[in-house]
Amino acid sequence: MKLLKYMSLLALLLATGFTYAQEEVSEERKPGHLNENRFKQLYEEFSTPNMYRSASGAPGPEYYQQQADYVMDIVLDDENAKINGFETITYTNNSPDNLEYLWVQLDQNKREKDSKSPLIEPSGTQPATMASSFVGEYMGTSFDGGFKIEAVTTVKGAPLEYTINQTMMRVEMPQGLKPGEKFSFSVKWWYYIPEHTVDRARSGYETFEDGNRGYVIAQFFPRMAVYSDVEGWQNSQFWGRDEFALPFGDYEVNITVPSDHVLDGTGVLVNRKEVFTKEMMNRYNSAKKAYDKPVIIVTQEEAENASKGFSTVSKTWKLKAENVRDFGFATSRRYIWDMMSVKIGAKDVMAVSMYPPEGNPLWEDYSTIVVASTLKSYSRMSFDYPYHKAISVHAKNQGMEYPMICWNYGRPNEDGTYSERTKYGMMSVIIHEVGHNYFPMIVNSDERQWTWMDEGLNTFVQYVAEQDFGEWYPDAIAPNKAYPSRRGPARKIVSYMAGDQNRMAPIMTKGLNTYNFGANAYSKPATGLNILRETIMGRDLFDYAFRTYSQRWMFKHPTPEDFFRTMEDASAVDLDWFWRSWFYSTEYTDIGIKEVKTFYVTSKMSKEIRQMMEQRGMKESDLPALVYLIDEDSEDFEESMRTSTLDDVPTLQSYIMDNVPANERANLKNPRFFYEITFEKPGGIPMPIIAEYTYSDGSTKRVTYPAEIWRKNDASVGKVVASEMEITKIMVDPDEETADIDTSNNSWPKRKKLGDFNKFKQNVKGQ
Amino acid sequence: MTFLKMTLFVLLFPCIMGSAEHKFYVSITKIEYVAESESLQIIAQFFIDDIEEVLRKRYRSDVSLGTTKETEEDRALLKKYILQKLKISVNGRPVTLDYLGIEYDIDMVKSYIEVSGIETLNTMEIEFKALTEIFAEQQNIIHFKSSKNRKSLILDVDNPNGVLNFN
Repeated sequence: MKLLKYMSLLALLLATGFTYAQEEVSEERKPGHLNENRFKQLYEEFSTPNMYRSASGAPGPEYYQQQADYVMDIVLDDENAKINGFETITYTNNSPDNLEYLWVQLDQNKREKDSKSPLIEPSGTQPATMASSFVGEYMGTSFDGGFKIEAVTTVKGAPLEYTINQTMMRVEMPQGLKPGEKFSFSVKWWYYIPEHTVDRARSGYETFEDGNRGYVIAQFFPRMAVYSDVEGWQNSQFWGRDEFALPFGDYEVNITVPSDHVLDGTGVLVNRKEVFTKEMMNRYNSAKKAYDKPVIIVTQEEAENASKGFSTVSKTWKLKAENVRDFGFATSRRYIWDMMSVKIGAKDVMAVSMYPPEGNPLWEDYSTIVVASTLKSYSRMSFDYPYHKAISVHAKNQGMEYPMICWNYGRPNEDGTYSERTKYGMMSVIIHEVGHNYFPMIVNSDERQWTWMDEGLNTFVQYVAEQDFGEWYPDAIAPNKAYPSRRGPARKIVSYMAGDQNRMAPIMTKGLNTYNFGANAYSKPATGLNILRETIMGRDLFDYAFRTYSQRWMFKHPTPEDFFRTMEDASAVDLDWFWRSWFYSTEYTDIGIKEVKTFYVTSKMSKEIRQMMEQRGMKESDLPALVYLIDEDSEDFEESMRTSTLDDVPTLQSYIMDNVPANERANLKNPRFFYEITFEKPGGIPMPIIAEYTYSDGSTKRVTYPAEIWRKNDASVGKVVASEMEITKIMVDPDEETADIDTSNNSWPKRKKLGDFNKFKQNVKGQ
Repeated sequence: MTFLKMTLFVLLFPCIMGSAEHKFYVSITKIEYVAESESLQIIAQFFIDDIEEVLRKRYRSDVSLGTTKETEEDRALLKKYILQKLKISVNGRPVTLDYLGIEYDIDMVKSYIEVSGIETLNTMEIEFKALTEIFAEQQNIIHFKSSKNRKSLILDVDNPNGVLNFN
């Protein structure tokens, strides 16, 4: 009976704060609400798992994907910068659906004279315009780009009906394509190649000062669209920004170019002996055994000699690729070529670079070793590189990826000197584009819909690979101690996250409709993954899950949910709250310290409790042994408490004497200082609270309270810390790991932080 | 000629975004109103290679920033360029920009600019035409911050100015 009474009194004491608060509440009853908890699972955002895609995030038992195989004859007309092609596509319907028609992508049509791409760009008039701009805008005739489709036929040559809608072509088959059936058809086409240095296309040619051209050719043939369980036909138009969605298939491509050109591209070169000189062949054979530095296959001198001529004879390069989603090639008479082997797992992969003399000395020094280093890093983070080579081609202003080959910028000055920026820009873009072999060339996400799925994931691994490169090649980055990465660390995303909400879109937005494309689709998702890896999950759990995702979906078509689900499935970390806030919203992180109260322990009853007892007609002797925590700022506080210890609290001492065996008493902690810390969260994202406590002797201790601490109160949360030593300083997120947009509330006692501006001003004055 | 040609093409193809990891033509300018000191504290950040390119095209082909070859004159050209491109009016009146200097941060250059004597801030008009003359897709992003407000503007070749209202 007596026990019950104590219990109810104790309950009352514990609940006092709550009781007072209730008295202030108005009498009107609040309406109910739906589940608004930030930790609510993503059932509404995610589609229900099915036989194609499992709840684990893995491909389901009925998962299917279509196949498109290509046999192509391509002829480059160097004189007129024109390309002609004849291709036969064999399309296999692995879906359970009957297909009434096929959709083929005509990406070059973005550059047609009547392209609608410029029409969706808003513009405004200028009170004064340069004459040249005026001509360009209102009087000019544009480049005659776009595919000229000459014929679409059956393999026997019978014409097939087709309809072109901007960058998409619908082809009618004689009859529908049933599940499991194949249909082959041919397309004959040509187009004028754009000069990519002026129109910034993803492929085209560059004219060097000597008049020769360097061709980096891609999106050059009508390509099958993807048909899938998620989108049906992915035939969303190519407006110029959102990249590509492509099925896997096998390619046999014969490319005819002037005989003084060299060429490399997607796939195995099957007639190397026909197109290589004996000298090149010898060098190639020694490159197969060179693991430390590249072997030059075509020297600068040879490239410069070839540049003096213009062959009218042609030569055909035959390439064959299996299980690739696209095809690209580069060719010029002005290319230097080098190669080096790199061991990936048990296999040798050839790291390759092709560059005009304009790229030297930068390119011969770094390109191929960066390619090799990138393959090692990405293989560690996802899966062993499955192809036999990876080529980095130097093209001015380009940064673009295709299976086994990519174009990269980074051009030295004319005198061969280059700045650190050019060097690191070049290294980073090579790492990035070679990395795209993994995302999206192999882990083949839908770029047309979800830019972040390849750019974000790839930019994340790029950061890891950059740091690896810095570690493995310290001389290449000296005097820097670490590779100067531009994206990845949390603090680098803060200025974007703190920006205007009206000009921000969630990551889960089609790229075309976002505002700040680079930050939205590259930096933010990459930073989010880095935060998961370094702060929320830890490297072991994250890396295992990330590899699981990569391996589950290599050579397949994943969706965002497949990624989100796998990361949780393989790690047992519930991340729905993270996906919701970082990927599905434009919320930001802002966590701080609102208040810190210091308490001391005493056995003397406080005024507050005494009053409560009196109201209820109870005496102190009715209570069991109690210990009281006295707020430093309250009336009950006495200066002597500061120096008192737990030995000075009789109720506590007698409890210990009665209950703790003598030999264990020495092991008890002896806290003297009690802090009630109120953490606040003005930001929407419920990040972990990383608190660093500094003690009076200068030592520090770091405690991470998991994000789930916010699950019942999204605005603020209290935490009591008992300490043997006085705490002199508390800091939240001391290493800036969470992208906290406002650090002015991150420390206690509040420190006046000198902002960047005032720091600079002070320095300037000091000079 | 190169400049004209660039501009022409740039305007002919206003919407062609580049490629995968590609250079984003962006500058970020943070403007903070500090009521206590009645001043605007401005930090304008550019990619060094972008700003170097424009200085080379406009003034001298050997302008070099953040390298051992950098000269006093190069820095002066940068100052001249920024002050020519950035115009701010507060409460309807143009204000004087006090250019304090620059600082390099890997591939970025930050220029520090101060405007003093701003007792009250009702409206601010910002015109920033940096780099739009050579990069059609250049965006000059302005982040404004005061104790009461956070606002942003994205300025580009078509909309080089914007107005922030604080009332």
